[in-house]
Amino acid sequence: MQSLLKILLRYSNFLVFIALEVAAFLLLYYNNAYPRSSMLSTANSIVAWQNEQINEIRGYFSLRRQNEQLAAENVSLRNQICSMDSAKNASAIHYMSAKVVQMTTDRLHNYLTISLGSNDGIVRGQGVRNEEGAVGFVRTVGPNYSVVLPLINTHTHLSCRFAKNDYLGTLVWNGKDNRFGQLADVSAHMVVNPGDTIVTSGLSPVFPEGIPVGIVENSVLKEGDAYHTIQVRLFTNFKRLKYVEVVQNAHQQELEELQNGLD
Amino acid sequence: MDWTKQIIRYIAVMMLQVLLFDQLQLLGVCHPYIYILCLLMMPITLSHSADMLIGAAVGLVMDVFCNSLGVHMASCILVMFIRPYLLGAVVNDRDRLNEQICLRTLGWEAFIKYMVILVVIHHLTVFMLAAWSISHIIFVLVETLVSGFITCILILGYNALSDK
Repeated sequence: MQSLLKILLRYSNFLVFIALEVAAFLLLYYNNAYPRSSMLSTANSIVAWQNEQINEIRGYFSLRRQNEQLAAENVSLRNQICSMDSAKNASAIHYMSAKVVQMTTDRLHNYLTISLGSNDGIVRGQGVRNEEGAVGFVRTVGPNYSVVLPLINTHTHLSCRFAKNDYLGTLVWNGKDNRFGQLADVSAHMVVNPGDTIVTSGLSPVFPEGIPVGIVENSVLKEGDAYHTIQVRLFTNFKRLKYVEVVQNAHQQELEELQNGLD
Repeated sequence: MDWTKQIIRYIAVMMLQVLLFDQLQLLGVCHPYIYILCLLMMPITLSHSADMLIGAAVGLVMDVFCNSLGVHMASCILVMFIRPYLLGAVVNDRDRLNEQICLRTLGWEAFIKYMVILVVIHHLTVFMLAAWSISHIIFVLVETLVSGFITCILILGYNALSDK
């Protein structure tokens, strides 16, 4: 017994090292699998507040461009009001405007933090868009801030379809260029032309159908490949993201419960 | 050694890290993590285990700012684990280690060896754990080289300025 204690004492530093590393890897694993803790992310009020202050200062440098964007958005909203259809699905969805307080665009796992949280009715999994197109999904929700997983994160998958013929595909990101996403799962028999528009599929309650995502830049089909390798130029300019809208689908919970009930 | 000074330096360096260096977007490969300056220059007066605990705490705080729970923590613990052995290897007389660890006390050769090895280990583990797949290995290596080089220059700059 005494010799065992002696051995433990002798290697105590190494044991502490192993224990701490195991703790770090558990955190890493559980954060990737179940990102629930808003305390330990940029959804934390203090960290987000600090980011908001930085953003406030930077905001002054882009006022002109933001004004132009808002004006353009006003025009498109007026047009939408004119051509408004009163389909039942459309009325279940409404948007909440949020400010982007922090964002990275040049890493493999990019995130953005927005200024809406559970107090404003945000829940995990809701879609996020801006006036240009789809942006991403809500990942971690704090009381006043939330962390969003954008399309330019190698973890993201978005169900999309071609606007021209409703053919389905999955948008992923390879981590290289934040202007381009990649469309996977498009079979070789499908004819893909540069310039084809990609929109959200509406198959999940996260995004309504037809939100613009991007246009096909080029597509490569090597001899013997079963799927196209498609490069999609995203409509959303992530480097200039200032305001986004969170998609709130009144039927989201019901739809997800129904779908989960099938498993 | 005065621990208040260490803590003030830590807060100042973290503010620089978060307010300035995390905002940099140079070619997508330049992410210098100068906060490890505090870990590298911490005197060896505490026990080895206590050093690793401090490393874990410093890494965890950085992770909160990066949304990368566990990544910086694992790297900092590794750095703090290796540090005393590496110091023993690069420094000849052990008496010097009781003081602050910096360019002035270690001398150019020993300090640069010590700094470059630890910075490369830290940056490489951070970028590899963040990428979490072998398919981005070239990108990770370039990122490590560029960011590590900038970090080393900044740490040397800090030493040159504070030595007066």
